[in-house]
Amino acid sequence: MSDFFQLVVAGLSQGAIYALIAMGFAAIFSVSEIINLAQGEFAAMAGLVALSAAGAGLPLPVAMLVALVSVAIVAVVMQRLTIAPVKKMTTLTSIILTLGVSTALKALMLLIYGPEARGLPALPGSNFVVAGVSVRAQDLWILGITLVVAGAVVFFYDRTVLGKALRACAEQPVAARLVGISPRKATTLAFLIAGLLGAVAGLLASPISLTQWDSGLTLGLKGFVAATLGGLVSIRAAVLGGLLLGVLEALVAGYIDSGFRDAVAFVVLIVVLVARPGGVFSRQAQARV
Amino acid sequence: MLRSPHRKAVLALTAATLILAGCAEEQGGGDEGTPEETGPVVIGAVLDITGAGASLGVPERDTLELLAEQLNADGGIDGREVELIIEDNASTEDGAARAINKLITEDQVDIILGASRTGPSLAMRPVAESAEIPMISLAANQAIVDGSEWVFKTAQNDSVVIENIVADAADKGYSTLGLARDASGFGEGVEELFNSIGEEFGISVIATESFAPDATDFTAQMVNIRDAGADANIIWGIPPAAGLAQVAYRQLGIEVPVYQSHGIGNQVFLDTAGAAADGLVAPLGRLVVRDQLPDDDPQKEVITAFADAYEAEYGAGPSTFAGHAYDGFQLAVQALAEAGTDGQAMREYLEGVTDYVGVSGTFTMSADDHSGLTAEDLVLVTVENGEFTLIES
Repeated sequence: MSDFFQLVVAGLSQGAIYALIAMGFAAIFSVSEIINLAQGEFAAMAGLVALSAAGAGLPLPVAMLVALVSVAIVAVVMQRLTIAPVKKMTTLTSIILTLGVSTALKALMLLIYGPEARGLPALPGSNFVVAGVSVRAQDLWILGITLVVAGAVVFFYDRTVLGKALRACAEQPVAARLVGISPRKATTLAFLIAGLLGAVAGLLASPISLTQWDSGLTLGLKGFVAATLGGLVSIRAAVLGGLLLGVLEALVAGYIDSGFRDAVAFVVLIVVLVARPGGVFSRQAQARV
Repeated sequence: MLRSPHRKAVLALTAATLILAGCAEEQGGGDEGTPEETGPVVIGAVLDITGAGASLGVPERDTLELLAEQLNADGGIDGREVELIIEDNASTEDGAARAINKLITEDQVDIILGASRTGPSLAMRPVAESAEIPMISLAANQAIVDGSEWVFKTAQNDSVVIENIVADAADKGYSTLGLARDASGFGEGVEELFNSIGEEFGISVIATESFAPDATDFTAQMVNIRDAGADANIIWGIPPAAGLAQVAYRQLGIEVPVYQSHGIGNQVFLDTAGAAADGLVAPLGRLVVRDQLPDDDPQKEVITAFADAYEAEYGAGPSTFAGHAYDGFQLAVQALAEAGTDGQAMREYLEGVTDYVGVSGTFTMSADDHSGLTAEDLVLVTVENGEFTLIES
């Protein structure tokens, strides 16, 4: 039985990272129907920026802060330069556009930081064993921070005026504009939030799974699959989807074959898109955020 | 009717077509002639510079660039300049096949080095064989050179690594082994080799798990290895995956001893594995323990000279992979110097290499053995306080 829980712990930790990426997808799509394929790159970039800042002698918390701010700026600049100028944005256009941005960002990271994988030092705390299950301190940090961040994002969308304005753009774009909410500003804000979410994921994952110029690809794909479990529009469902996907992957790797680990996400994606394109957790495809 | 920009475009296109046709003709003609005896000598290299093999390919690229620069500063080969063309295969098999095709057809290289890893090397082998161009792989799996005519290699064969591990395991009285191996070419056939070499000592593999070369989570594999309850376990991979697997091994509290392969001989492994690496046992080339070698070690001089030059240029010591690139380059240069740029003559020269003292070992090739290294070319190494330490035998 301890094997089972060991796999679940590893799955939850990995799943929380997927959840953060998935929330980024949902944060943008729910406001603007844009699918941002550069979401994974935000994570890789945060890890790399923090690594080089820490390498330059900055203390770890400061390096992480530098990374968060840099990635947030990149996300907003990306939206201003590539998304905002497009007059008639469709989901398909956004996929092609952001795929281009993602490729450019990867090339940039490869040029600046080189091809080798490196990891940030783990956050403080010591690993321990409970009932035969070994838990890394970093696992607790990942789960804890993910839950706090998820809570904050849900609170923002549900309880604050600004968050409600974003939801208004999502649900009734024309009416929102009539009452003076700018969909353009709303999209910028959504990219800012997504950038921060991606950066947090990258910083938390780096000590365990290392960061390199192309680590965003897998993270982005898995995060996207997790987000589709919630129809790409629900933050709560994105979190659940991420955790579920992580655990499912770990169990498949442990009990069936580790070679199938990466196939899990894509099987899930196909099943969801065929059976429940509106998301498995939502009763109706219309319910947002 | 054509407006002028269009006309310009048509003209430019026509000109481009003509130029391309001219190039093709030239290439076709060049294939039939005898190799040129003047102009630069061209060495092509296909390395895993990006992707899962980056921690191998980057130091190999650095080594080749350093050596080519030194060689040209000293006057090249018989007064001919050495031109080095390095291609990145992005750690993929198809990338490697494309790269070697480009080197042969476009760049018309005289000899080829690479790839860094087994999978891409295997993908290059049939191309080199059919083009009849000598190729020196820097990767480990014996399958790269088994029965080959034109392909050689400098990294120690997996079989000689396994001979070392099995001998040590037999000494210590282990009979069952658990294996967590790289799922790509590097790990192919490793279990079978352990079983066949271990047979006479009564040693066999009782559980095998595999991991992708770019895997980051090893909980599942290590849980299964732990449950198998072998006398000792082997992690067979390259950094950073091998380092992350080592961390997971310790984190899951597996207490039986762990062996690693010769794929871990670099700083990336030590950095990734951290304290978890302490106490492991691995057969590695002498390069990583160069400070601890006795003065009468025949390789000490070569290794020290290379390591000093590398460190002076790049500010950090070379990895064993850099050593494989050093040996590949030196063998290629010797073949070019002694046999000229004729493929067949170079091939015969390489097959006749005897007692060449390199960084990865002392090479003695033959028609049947295109690797040229034996179990003697590895030493058992452990890790103490984050540094490779020679185990006194």
